[in-house]
Amino acid sequence: MAYTIVAALVLAVMFLSFERGKATSKEVALVAVMSAAAAMGRVVFAALPNVQATTFIAMVSGYVMGPESGFMVGAAAALVSNFFMGQGPWTPWQMLAWGLAGASAGLIKRIFPGIGRLGMTFYCLLWGYFFGWIMNLWYWSSFVRPLNINAFIAACISSIWFDSFHAAGNAILYYYFGEGFIKVLKRFYRRMKVTVRYE
Amino acid sequence: MEELFYHEKGLFLQKLHPAASLAYICTLLVLTLIFTNPFYLAGLFFCTGLSVWMLEGLETWELFLKGGLFMTVPIMIINPLVSKAGATILWRGPSLPVFGEITVSMEAVFYGAVMSLRLLDVISIFCLYNIMVHPDKAMNMLERFAFKSALVLSLATRMFPAMIRHLENIKEIQLVRGVDFSGGTFKQKINKYTNLIYILLLSSLEDSMEIAEAMHARAFGSGRRTRYVRDSIKPADSVCLAAAAAALLTGAWGTVKGYGVMNFYPRLGPAYSRGDMRMLALLLSMLSIPSLLSWGWRYCRYFR
Amino acid sequence: MPIFQVKNVSYYYPESEKPALKDINISVDEGEFLLVAGGSGSGKSTLARVLAGLVPDFYGGIFSGRVLFKGRDIRGMDRRKLSRHVGMVFQDPEKQLVKTEAEAEIAFGLENLGLPQQEMLRRVAEAMDFLDLAEVKGRFIDKLSGGQKQKVALASVLAMQPEAIILDEPTSQLDPACAEEFFNLIKRLNEEMGKTVILIEQRLERCFHLADRVAVMKDGKLIIEGAPREVAAKSVAGGMPFIPPVARFFAAMGFPDIPATVKEGRGILKKCLPLHNADEESLGSAGSVEKIGDKSGDVISLKKVWFSYNDKKEVLRDINLRVFPGEFAAILGANGAGKSTLLKIMAGLLHPDRGRVFFQGEECGNKGEIFREKRVAYLAQNPNDYLLQDTVEQELAFTIKNFNIPDDGRIDRLLGEMDLKRHRNKNPRDLSSGERQRVALASVLVTHPSLVLLDEPTRGMDYALKAALGEYLEGLCSSQLCVVMVTHDVEFAAEYAKRVIILHDGKIVSDGSAKQVLGNSMFYSTQMARMCRGFAADILTVEDAMETLAPLLSQNYKLALERGLW
Repeated sequence: MAYTIVAALVLAVMFLSFERGKATSKEVALVAVMSAAAAMGRVVFAALPNVQATTFIAMVSGYVMGPESGFMVGAAAALVSNFFMGQGPWTPWQMLAWGLAGASAGLIKRIFPGIGRLGMTFYCLLWGYFFGWIMNLWYWSSFVRPLNINAFIAACISSIWFDSFHAAGNAILYYYFGEGFIKVLKRFYRRMKVTVRYE
Repeated sequence: MEELFYHEKGLFLQKLHPAASLAYICTLLVLTLIFTNPFYLAGLFFCTGLSVWMLEGLETWELFLKGGLFMTVPIMIINPLVSKAGATILWRGPSLPVFGEITVSMEAVFYGAVMSLRLLDVISIFCLYNIMVHPDKAMNMLERFAFKSALVLSLATRMFPAMIRHLENIKEIQLVRGVDFSGGTFKQKINKYTNLIYILLLSSLEDSMEIAEAMHARAFGSGRRTRYVRDSIKPADSVCLAAAAAALLTGAWGTVKGYGVMNFYPRLGPAYSRGDMRMLALLLSMLSIPSLLSWGWRYCRYFR
Repeated sequence: MPIFQVKNVSYYYPESEKPALKDINISVDEGEFLLVAGGSGSGKSTLARVLAGLVPDFYGGIFSGRVLFKGRDIRGMDRRKLSRHVGMVFQDPEKQLVKTEAEAEIAFGLENLGLPQQEMLRRVAEAMDFLDLAEVKGRFIDKLSGGQKQKVALASVLAMQPEAIILDEPTSQLDPACAEEFFNLIKRLNEEMGKTVILIEQRLERCFHLADRVAVMKDGKLIIEGAPREVAAKSVAGGMPFIPPVARFFAAMGFPDIPATVKEGRGILKKCLPLHNADEESLGSAGSVEKIGDKSGDVISLKKVWFSYNDKKEVLRDINLRVFPGEFAAILGANGAGKSTLLKIMAGLLHPDRGRVFFQGEECGNKGEIFREKRVAYLAQNPNDYLLQDTVEQELAFTIKNFNIPDDGRIDRLLGEMDLKRHRNKNPRDLSSGERQRVALASVLVTHPSLVLLDEPTRGMDYALKAALGEYLEGLCSSQLCVVMVTHDVEFAAEYAKRVIILHDGKIVSDGSAKQVLGNSMFYSTQMARMCRGFAADILTVEDAMETLAPLLSQNYKLALERGLW
């Protein structure tokens, strides 16, 4: 119960931080398109075991557009795709996990601007595991007693293969496509600011 | 996947104001997460099922429960393995590095079973949400607090099925250009599929500018905006809202008083007491009000 | 006072060297219906965006000159005020709807204006009633048809109660029947509600007669402006292709009074020519199917093909079709008739539930992807979906590499044939829309296919691009190869296709030479055919008419003038 409340609070805070500031049509449209594309990441790779391009796209968005938008892309991708696939108790946790993946990519860009291709690849790899652990959290916190670290480790060990596929997929995606996606997205992100010269 | 999971059937429970239906669902969820008494959990399961039935969603529920049963397996395994608090030891296993000596106690097995029931409850409540609340209505509620986020969500929801169709077209084009999706290594497959997303992204980003332009032309972001309200609160909504609130308060008060909470360790506490049952009956009668109204709406004209 | 005055406007998009608009001067009167025509890249859409205040506000760039709305410079105007007075409907309904439901969509603009609830309720209801949208209320917006979506987009603009409505090729994504209906709505807006309408179009068959005034743009400049009849005469004299066939024909004939509709055209013909009995003539040939081209061996043949998606209603029913080398066939039909499905079956992307498909005499197995072994080229609707590589050349190389075909200089040859050589090392996404389509086409033609399939290749194209495409496809057919295309564009089919197949509800209802099928059909027919029906047979295009009808007409016209019948 306590973990659920914390998760809900984090979601609320992040949503509100996205609300801050003036809404421009370009920003809303760009974030929405990236969210829908990230949601596609769940659909496209259905044929491959637990490759989740959603994580990758949310992280790329966060990297280019900043933590708030990155969070929104990840969270919206989870919620929107589940409108079609069915909402479940996993929804809020997916929103949280993908949202945080996006937000963290934005943060790491701010903290280490020169992180580079390999650094980001490694970071994406890590998020494959983080995602799995966050998803284990709800399961473990709601249905397992006593709440000790051993029990959590047990839950994580039981999903390690699954998470490794996710992590490997993330790393391959970022290594081969990361720079390309970022370049394209940056071009559009720049177009959000316009200057007019009257003559 | 191009269709919303929700299907409009025009049923009473679907027509409830989102505030009422969300309050009802949240109440069920909160109660499920605070009670540990199996009778209470079974009662909540029954109430949820009643609403699902009223929404003609038994088939969907079956699907959710099947998936849910699968998810209960780790609960049944992990709980006995990690808990050492139970007094009635059924089996003593070998010693493992992180976990120490493995013991399986009857209390822990029982706890696993009750938690599995709780999981099925949670799954059922989400199933109920899926068939009861139109995504639009949920987003309208969100719009009150966070209109920018709500707009992102509605825009993305609108684009989702169109993007799926677009992806199919892109895949067909890659097929006729000789791309073999079934062959290749793990890495090559990822490359082929990611190309699809990349093409989709290139087109969609262009589209995002056009969408933004259409929003701009309709005065988006030109100043303070108002909110168009479509749902109005009807008497039935107030009744359901009140029932949910009352159940929540009663439940919270009950927990403080020790009702609905069972002790598992070191020995199983009593699950059944006269007070507990009275309390449960009260709660269940409150929580079945929406279902009863729904039944009455259909079969008894005095309810209208 | 005019509602819009554009004074000396020139404009450059950001990072662009070429001006999108050059010294534009035009004014629009209150309640007027102005039609702005021009090819792709002529600046007509940019002009629309200038009037709506989107250029330069939304796009940035360099702007000079002044735009006045009712005498006030819109540069200083509050954006909210401007969007309340000027509404804009865009090309693609998919790209302007933001909500998941129609009612919320219509309310969106009103919410942005900050109107009170009561006012919004009234306006939403009015807009829905006016456009007859009651049936779509509450439905998921993605499930609506293209025509319905565009109506919702129009309603969402109308609800804001603008005085002027600007429409940027609003029907380019709709099929002909929906387009017709949409234009009728616009006409009502102008005539019954007194709204000023500025319509941007490049295909004028359906809207030329609606306008009070027509302006033609080219290369960012306004080159002709005036009443439709005047513009028709002037543009034919100047060799401009924007005028609909009937007007073009009479303007070319040098008639003083140029008709804009089929009805008016027939009126003139009636005065000059005797009417034959049409029924007797056509009955004889209607049933028989004439085969064109080399009959020795078919490229593809479909035998009793049935198809349905996910075991739902049958989309194709008992299709029998043979296509021969050298043929250029067009498949016409309403939306949902199964045209695209038929094309995908021929491409091997879908497999029939029942029936058999033979490619060059060999039967295609159920999973035999014929495009892989036998080289079928398939060009889908959106050429952008083909563009993945960094250069045009790589785009072609990608395909042959997938098929393990060695490059025997074929890339070079094809780039030359398609006039793409100078773009060889450019990013295909940086090219113009016509060039992008050529790159997409080249990327599938590079395998040297014997069957080329195209799905609505002319959607959104202007006259010049269409002519170039048509001629290229005609040229392709002469060799070992046949072309089958699905299209809504009857005029294009009439001009270039030799064979026409009409599909209705999954069945082939008509199949024969273009002259036969289009000449006899009431709906799937060209403007010229409809106008000439009963006066002369076998006329589909202006060129046909110039050949057979013109001599007769000019003779009789002189006689009629002498007898004072005019």
